Amino acid sequence: MTAAESASAATESASQEGKYVYCIIRNDRSREFGEIGIGSAARVYTVAHKDLSAVVSDTPIVIYDPTRENVLAHEFVNETVMREFTLIPMSFGTIFRSENDVRALLNSTYQAFTDVLDKMQDKIEFGLKILWDRDSVVAAIERDNDEIRRLKDEITRNAASSTYFARMQLGRLVEAAMEEASNRYVNDIHEQLKEVSVASRSSKVIGDRMILNAAFLVERKDEKSFDEKVKAISLQYEDLLTFKYTGPWPPYNFVNIKLKLEKAT
Amino acid sequence: MGLLTNILLAPFLGPVWGTRWTLEQVDRVVREELTDDTPIKADLMALQLQLEMGEIDDDEYVRREAEIMKRLREVREWREKFGMSTSGGPVRVVESGEPE
Repeated sequence: MTAAESASAATESASQEGKYVYCIIRNDRSREFGEIGIGSAARVYTVAHKDLSAVVSDTPIVIYDPTRENVLAHEFVNETVMREFTLIPMSFGTIFRSENDVRALLNSTYQAFTDVLDKMQDKIEFGLKILWDRDSVVAAIERDNDEIRRLKDEITRNAASSTYFARMQLGRLVEAAMEEASNRYVNDIHEQLKEVSVASRSSKVIGDRMILNAAFLVERKDEKSFDEKVKAISLQYEDLLTFKYTGPWPPYNFVNIKLKLEKAT
Repeated sequence: MGLLTNILLAPFLGPVWGTRWTLEQVDRVVREELTDDTPIKADLMALQLQLEMGEIDDDEYVRREAEIMKRLREVREWREKFGMSTSGGPVRVVESGEPE
């Protein structure tokens, strides 16, 4: 069973056409972005109201699971649109029943969309996840921290007689030093990137090796400097940290318009 | 586990249970667990990170993603049963009131 088949089997009204909305742009002429839509490579086009347009594709009325495939399709459309336009991304999986319902969205939220489009004009987002290699960081701490090095040597020398408490003490010291190191790295990196970005937003870290999960808002014209800065920082921390650098993205983490939407039954 | 199983299998607000007062607490806890997708989303993000870091291959990713999607769908079904909000599916602008 293909994804499309299982999606249509899941919903009785699947044959009904809806409009999947990817993003909002400032544009008053109709535009085509190719057959790159979610689901079955549907045609991506615009629905306009005044000088705003929603970028949409036709879709059966289904609930899209946030699978990698679906999320990538959603993102790919936004990346394509982003090459030409400043955009406000919509939440993954947002479907309206008709073009009129999409126009109602543009109409009712016209002012907020306009304000945010002004603010986001020519700005793009980069994602930066930083993971550390625990062993290297511990090694660096043991090298640099006299107290920890001394305690560790002592425990190693007197392996038999060294107490549980000495080991506990060492463990606590290392933990504290690691937290301090993590804060120091993160602050330093934030500080260095401040010069080449407009704003940053940190999200919750994922797993126990990540020390930074952040998004940076960057002026398009500063894209290259931001890029070079990240590369320089990752060289600086080469032995200790792994950098996962993505983008440019639409400003997913810097747009927060609360839409008043309800289920369309 | 017997009690929990009965609750999971019985229609939630059905009259089957006579002693409502003892069950309301259980009901609430179970309901919170059944309708919370935060841990599932965290698992999905952790899985994506594993793929990005090259710790798992595509096949492994797809297999585990399918399990996570199944859990997400289950939570969505429970939320719908309880009349709670869900993401995805058709929406429209709320008629009354100005947007914020």
